Amino acid sequence: MNNTRTRTRYAHAATVAGVTVALTLATLVPLAAQAQPSAQEIVRRLEANRTYETSRAEVTMIIDDRFGERESTMVSYSRGDDEALIEFTSAAERGQKVLRTADEIYLYYPDAAELVRLQGAALRESMLGSDVSYEDLTGGKTLLDTYEVTLDGTEQIDGHRTYRITMEARDRNVAYPRQTVWVDAELFVARRSEQYALSGRLLKTAVMQDIREIDGFQVPMRTVISDALKRNSSTTIRIDSIDIGVRLDDTLFSLQELSW
Amino acid sequence: MKLKQIVSLAGKNLLRHRRRTIITAGAVAVGLLMFILVDSLLTGIEEESNRNLIWFETGAAQVIHTGYLAERNDRPLKYAIDDAAEVEAELESAGLSATSRIVFSGELIVFKDPFPEDGSVMVTVYGIDPEDDDDVYHLPQTVSAGDFLEPGTNEALLGAWLAEDIGAEVGYPITIVTRTRQGFYQTIDLEVAGILNTPNPVINRTAVFMPEGVAADYLQMGGAATEISVASELGRTLPELTREMQQQIAGAPNLRVADWRTLAADAVAIAEAKESSSGIVLLLVFIIAAVGVSNTVLMSTLERTQELGMMRAIGMRDREVMTTLLVEAAGIGLLGGIIGIVLGAGGVALMVERGIDYGSLIRDTNVGYRVTQVIYGAWNLPTFGRALVVGVVISVVTAFVPVRRAVRMSVIDSLRRTS
Repeated sequence: MNNTRTRTRYAHAATVAGVTVALTLATLVPLAAQAQPSAQEIVRRLEANRTYETSRAEVTMIIDDRFGERESTMVSYSRGDDEALIEFTSAAERGQKVLRTADEIYLYYPDAAELVRLQGAALRESMLGSDVSYEDLTGGKTLLDTYEVTLDGTEQIDGHRTYRITMEARDRNVAYPRQTVWVDAELFVARRSEQYALSGRLLKTAVMQDIREIDGFQVPMRTVISDALKRNSSTTIRIDSIDIGVRLDDTLFSLQELSW
Repeated sequence: MKLKQIVSLAGKNLLRHRRRTIITAGAVAVGLLMFILVDSLLTGIEEESNRNLIWFETGAAQVIHTGYLAERNDRPLKYAIDDAAEVEAELESAGLSATSRIVFSGELIVFKDPFPEDGSVMVTVYGIDPEDDDDVYHLPQTVSAGDFLEPGTNEALLGAWLAEDIGAEVGYPITIVTRTRQGFYQTIDLEVAGILNTPNPVINRTAVFMPEGVAADYLQMGGAATEISVASELGRTLPELTREMQQQIAGAPNLRVADWRTLAADAVAIAEAKESSSGIVLLLVFIIAAVGVSNTVLMSTLERTQELGMMRAIGMRDREVMTTLLVEAAGIGLLGGIIGIVLGAGGVALMVERGIDYGSLIRDTNVGYRVTQVIYGAWNLPTFGRALVVGVVISVVTAFVPVRRAVRMSVIDSLRRTS
């Protein structure tokens, strides 16, 4: 009798527990689905966060390699995702400029008064001996135009919850056939990225730090880039100051302006 | 006075002033010797440079994509020959020796241990067919350490200077970072199978060779190659060879034939510059000889003013006096020319046999010519003939002014003048 009652009570409890779990699942699964955006949405928000209508930034590039540590300073102007102009202000490179348009990269050397269009192998060359190649400056199409993106899950990066996004190139005209980006789940800014060669070998790693909100944008004030094929070498890009939405002269990103 | 008498008189005068004649002829000889030696050296460099270009870089001619040549320095894979095997077979069916290559640029990465230091350097990578590359090129004979490539292996051959610069030895691992034909970054891990010590500095300094099939897989070439090289054929001139090649690719509008001169425009430009440097040497010779001859003739006319006055007073015409002096100058030029040629022949023989060791100079600088270490002279017989003519002509031309001055003086002034 007692046994029968006990069994009945357990059965009831099990039923209640089962219903509770079912209800919980039924409630939570849609909630989780709503809380976790799609890979496309994450990348869209990531790009929206890093594409400024216009910007002017004072930047310090710190190159740390086997020759020691050296700094270069520059002023960087950008308009949208296509156009950027970097003008070096440090003594050794003063007056050198790098112009990026939608399709091309040009260098200007004031001592030689020479304008050079970079193409082919020259694009792979390092900028001032850093871990950044001129090719890394190329922009143009958005990530969603050129990559198939998938959400691999979430991971903790430096104590922050991030979405791990894998990007496989669908456009053969991009440099990296595969990239992995860890996007902050709250701020939608990249915390880390890795670029791979077609062979699957890791080429470059970038770690974004000191993220601050400026004029509604989440801006990583410090990015450490390492070339995975060069040991004991890293380049830190530090934004000393940045103004977003500044008024820029229409001719700033023209070739004529470059040699002035 | 007959010409024979004039020549005889001029000859006697030359013998009478033997020391002066020998010194002046010596000046002419030294100038011409310099000209002959420099010309021999430049000709030798050019011949060897051209041969090393053809044997190691270009072949006699190549079939390439029409867009390739303009961007050849960037080694663009986008301008590749899609059905390379088919084109190669077409050329071989016409009796030509042909081989395909995939040439691309990349960054060579090495790591400390086993290398002495971490580092990277830009290189030109040649994907070659190890089995038939020597139908056109001469690489196997230049392996100075290790072995030649085996098809289908991840092996590499390095130029000797490149290997020395990065501290590479046989068996060391290297990584090439490059871009595929479509533009993706790619890494290729290879093992050094051998070191090539070629007589071509461009190959020694920057070349890495790997099997073409392996390169094709990594670069997603899909059966394409950047060039199909053809060897020079005995009994067929270069224009005949290129015409034959052109006929074989007539059905492919996106392909063209380029001979080695077109492909190696930089080296050819240097050879053209050589022409002007030969001209400068010739000018120097002219100045040296002209100063020597005009000085000698001037001195001899001044010394012999009374004698010339006497000759004119006893009835020798001005024209005859002038001709005598010019024949004397021509004699000096002829003598100097002969001495210059004899000495030049000895010098050229020595340079052809032993050469001049420019090893360290060429190792450290890029002179454009495809020569290394010892540079040999070459026999250029027309130069000897030219040297003789130049010696006589400049002697006569430079003697003309002082001689004319001497005969314009009145006979009385000439006789009164003391030397």
